[in-house]
Amino acid sequence: MSQVNVRDELSKAAVEPLLPIEKKLIGWSLGIGIVLLVVLVALNHLFPVAI
Amino acid sequence: MTETSTADWAAANLKRADNVEIAPRLSEDWLSLIIGLAIFVLALGALGNSDIIGWVVNTAVWNDLGRALAPVSKAYASLGGVGALLATFVALLVVLSLAAVALKANVGKFAAGFTAVFWLAYGSWILGNYANFAAVTPAEYQRFGITWSLGLTNEGAYIFALVIGLLIANFAPRFAEAIKDAVRPELYIKIAIVILGGVFAVTAAGKLNLAASVLARGIAAIVEAYLIYWAVIYFVARKWFGFNREWAAPLASGISICGVSAAIATGGAIRSRPLIPVLVSSLVVIFACVEVLILPFLAKTFLGHEPMVAGAWMGLSVKTDGAAVAAGGIAEALILAQNAAEGVKYQPGWILGTTTTIKVFIDVFIGIWAFVLGYIWTNHINPDTRNKAKAWEIWERFPTFILGFVLTLLAGLYLVFATPADIAAKVPAAVGEANTFRVIFFILTFFSIGLLSNFKRLWEEGIGKLAAVYFVCLFGFVIWVGLLISWLFFAGVKPPLAS
Repeated sequence: MSQVNVRDELSKAAVEPLLPIEKKLIGWSLGIGIVLLVVLVALNHLFPVAI
Repeated sequence: MTETSTADWAAANLKRADNVEIAPRLSEDWLSLIIGLAIFVLALGALGNSDIIGWVVNTAVWNDLGRALAPVSKAYASLGGVGALLATFVALLVVLSLAAVALKANVGKFAAGFTAVFWLAYGSWILGNYANFAAVTPAEYQRFGITWSLGLTNEGAYIFALVIGLLIANFAPRFAEAIKDAVRPELYIKIAIVILGGVFAVTAAGKLNLAASVLARGIAAIVEAYLIYWAVIYFVARKWFGFNREWAAPLASGISICGVSAAIATGGAIRSRPLIPVLVSSLVVIFACVEVLILPFLAKTFLGHEPMVAGAWMGLSVKTDGAAVAAGGIAEALILAQNAAEGVKYQPGWILGTTTTIKVFIDVFIGIWAFVLGYIWTNHINPDTRNKAKAWEIWERFPTFILGFVLTLLAGLYLVFATPADIAAKVPAAVGEANTFRVIFFILTFFSIGLLSNFKRLWEEGIGKLAAVYFVCLFGFVIWVGLLISWLFFAGVKPPLAS
């Protein structure tokens, strides 16, 4: 493994505010994810597991 | 990226936490596929009355050590238990040493390390199969003449391999370092997963509708891991913990998708410095180790009567392929034993099959997700970079060992359904021989994960803040959302009863 101290590296890292593209990525991912999950849950009820 | 000089990082000895070489002759994924398929094909020799690998060693629950070991096939009974164990060791040593050559590892060091890894890991397995640890049913108590048992089942012996690995890593770190060339949990588990495809085919053959339903519900796992987990964890890392993008993206992938390989793929895609995903992957292994020690027992306690929920939960919550599939194996052993003690005997293989299916579905999309991130990073976040993301990177990052899982699954189904009855009847026994190798690769995986989990060293590397994100996200979000989704899709679904 490395001999690099992560704590030091993190303290040296520049502060980076969230960019609009990152906010879009987070928002769209979550939005699409939740909608798809709702659709899949609905499908799961319509077509229950074949036991 | 950050303003930090890369000089320190370049000087560091770069190595993945799971000992995967950066530029091997043949990738670990392809090697896993080749070795796993070779074992599966050799096992099928039994269909033509050529029992090629029946000498592989099998361990039964014991209270007389002399009766613990035996070759898996009676055709090799003359070898005896010790002979079978030696044959298994030599075969694995030769095959995996050849793999080490392909991985550009030092073969001498690998062979020496593997010798230690094999004997310690298998020794742990034998120990864990001692009747007072593994016996479950009243009939077993009577057979072994015992009055108490931890009731861990024989597969619970994986925990012994994990704990002994952990003890060595933390109390004998120099020894762990000396044998590290053979500590390759990802290689071992990928071989096991390739074999598992065939095993799952035989299990699923009796209940194809249920198997198809399990596969279809794997889609929910993809949505959850990539779209929900990743977004939330990235936000938490960036907004609450103040990580920059270079750290936050591999960390989010490591915690949300498939651990080590996801962190590495994401690091490559966003063009981060190589050491970042390597450090993240160290953390992933540590947390995976903790999860394996806790979650299967929670599953047994709270989901004992919802076996399929438990299987899906392991796949969604435990990170890294090795730990997840291993946790599924332990959860299955514990839950089946608990139900058996109550008089309900489920067919083995369904809980582990569900965990593996969920994990494989998640793995398949890592290349696509990494490309999406790479595209955003190289076109919108760091648009000045000359090294833009290319579509071919999707294939480059595709976990090819999954092709092996699919191949053995399809081959197994074909043999069961499309061959004459006399041949089809021999398939379960033939695949059972391959499955014995699968168990051995699981044991090696558990032991290796333990050996990589040196808590003290990681703490000394100042990884506390990364661990805090991991802890908050994993125990505050990932595990519970995974449980909710598993419940929504699998509650009330039971494995078929054993005939």
